[in-house]
Amino acid sequence: MTRRVMLVGSPNCGKSLLFNRLTGLRQKVANFPGITIELAQGAMADIEGVTLVDYPGSYSLRALSADETVAVQQFHTGLEDPEVSHVVCVVDVTRMEKSLYLTLQVIRRARRKGKQVIVAANLMDVLDSHGIELDLAGLSRELAVPVVALSARTGRGMDELVELLRRSPPPKPSRAAPDIEINDDVLVQKTAHRLAQRFGPRGDMLVRSQNRLDAFFLHSWFGGLAFFAIMYLLFQSIFTGAAPAMDAVESGLAAIAGWLMPLLGPGLAADFTSDAIFSGVGAFLVFVPQIFVLTLIVGLLEDSGYMARAALICHRPLRMFGLTGKSFIPMLSGVACAIPGVYAARAIDSPTKRRLTYMAIPLMPCSARLPVYALLIAVFIPQTTALGGLVGIQGLAMFGLYFFGLTAGLLVTGLASRRAAHRESDVPFILEMPAYRMPALKPLLQRSVHRCKHFVTAAGGVILGVTIVVWILGYFPNGGAELQYSWLAAIGRAIEPVFAPLGLDWRYGVAILTSFLAREVFVGTLGTIFGIEFAEQNMVPLVERVHSSGLELASGVALLVFFSIALMCVSTMVILARESGSWRLPAKMFMVYGAAGYLGAVAAYQLLSML
Amino acid sequence: MDSIPLWVLGTGQRAVIAGFDPALPEAYRQRLTEMGFHGGERVTCLRQPAFGAPRVYRVSNTVFSLDREIAGHILMQAEGVKA
Repeated sequence: MTRRVMLVGSPNCGKSLLFNRLTGLRQKVANFPGITIELAQGAMADIEGVTLVDYPGSYSLRALSADETVAVQQFHTGLEDPEVSHVVCVVDVTRMEKSLYLTLQVIRRARRKGKQVIVAANLMDVLDSHGIELDLAGLSRELAVPVVALSARTGRGMDELVELLRRSPPPKPSRAAPDIEINDDVLVQKTAHRLAQRFGPRGDMLVRSQNRLDAFFLHSWFGGLAFFAIMYLLFQSIFTGAAPAMDAVESGLAAIAGWLMPLLGPGLAADFTSDAIFSGVGAFLVFVPQIFVLTLIVGLLEDSGYMARAALICHRPLRMFGLTGKSFIPMLSGVACAIPGVYAARAIDSPTKRRLTYMAIPLMPCSARLPVYALLIAVFIPQTTALGGLVGIQGLAMFGLYFFGLTAGLLVTGLASRRAAHRESDVPFILEMPAYRMPALKPLLQRSVHRCKHFVTAAGGVILGVTIVVWILGYFPNGGAELQYSWLAAIGRAIEPVFAPLGLDWRYGVAILTSFLAREVFVGTLGTIFGIEFAEQNMVPLVERVHSSGLELASGVALLVFFSIALMCVSTMVILARESGSWRLPAKMFMVYGAAGYLGAVAAYQLLSML
Repeated sequence: MDSIPLWVLGTGQRAVIAGFDPALPEAYRQRLTEMGFHGGERVTCLRQPAFGAPRVYRVSNTVFSLDREIAGHILMQAEGVKA
């Protein structure tokens, strides 16, 4: 017979680490679309036929936000499941009162459904290191459930817990301890307080050691410097640290193509494989290293306890724009690539703030915009310097574009938050400052791999579909010989009136159409149209051709405005739809940002043409 | 009894919770109670980061950061504020 064991606990109680120990990292994670709730399931390593289900960390069974409602519902559904034999409630012994609040609620409900509760008193190693002893037998008597002294980090107490779980409990009527058969929140709180006072650790040395590190990390000056240094490293690692891996993906694909293409010989199949499959899907697979690196670093920041400090530091400035301190890392990631940024937004526990952050991320100047910006800046801005050679004008223009994107993002959230305010229930900004801890690397690596798989399976199909459509339109009817006579070019000419108010002809229209695959494709397409090979790698010939093609400065600025605002990345939209739970938000953003980008571009062109 | 908002406590000062400002939404009050902020409990202000950032408070053995919106609505007994 198969059995299931539920694992519950308050946030930061070390539950995930315990889960990883008990399952030996063999887990399947179920995502609930639209919320950050993940239910991880894994077969217990030491007991045959027993599955462990990890429930999201929660302070109580009373939900405030949509996310918490789902989590609580899942918990109640689990209690109804006849296959569930035990509920393991993880208690952080260093912060007992907070953990006991949930524990008391859980014990009461689980008992009623005839499930055996085991309290896992975790983080005993921390108390050991301070020489603190607890009367857990007394706590066990009060709660009328077994309490196991445990350290998920060192492995202490694991055998005892497994032994308790091995025994399938005989069905018996709940042995009610009158003290905990309570329905009243005030009574739960009073009982949790009383038990924590009586059985919890005394003295404040636990808090004191944490406070010493906070004295540095939250110091007005050193804390700020540390923050900037850490964020700089994070940004660098997504932007440049992932580059070798991204190159490896590219050259790996090139190697496979090099081996495969001669086998196919010339013709339709070869063209399709090379241009649609390898180029199109390759352009999407290169995101994987960035997602991996960011997930890993964000995990390190979370598990070490620094994330809460970082959120605190940037909370005030972001709050002015309706965001929270936790929005910072997703937005910063968005400057490298929106997709890992959208994933990073999972750390935001408030659904409202998370949605606002989603709105800001695609406006961040992502690295796919960089080639487009670089091309247009090279075409229009002379390579001169100002302030006695200190400031390059081209660099200044690039900085201006980045600043424009950031400002646009904050403006949008600032406006949208005015509308969202008080419309729905939300969680307040109460942030637990977890103790600083050394993160365990293995589960973090596993989470990063899981995230990459999620991206590939979620976005792969749509990307492949769009790639094939664009390829067919560009390839037929003349077998890919000349792009300017393809269906794609015909479409470009047909919709030329759309681009006329920007002073652009069909060639730029086609390049914009193909850039919906990924923005940087704009440069490659222009290269193809102007008959320049490898335009992405070496832009100089293309810059000269675009320059001599008579593109006006006003049109160049219009293009920059459009590319800064419009949401045209299919991968981002797919992941936004998956993470936010529906296509509503990405569809709305696609239309609003597209319209705003277009109108902004028209305005810029018309205004500059008048001057 | 006179009460002052938690937000006015300086670094290192501690006081006892008297109650909550009625303007604080009931759901927030509930969450604060679950986290250990309840009448009669002693709260210490551990840190006041610069530039109006949320402040760091200790209640029981747990450390939380609250912004002004919340800490301005937790009322402390004015008597017996200790450094």
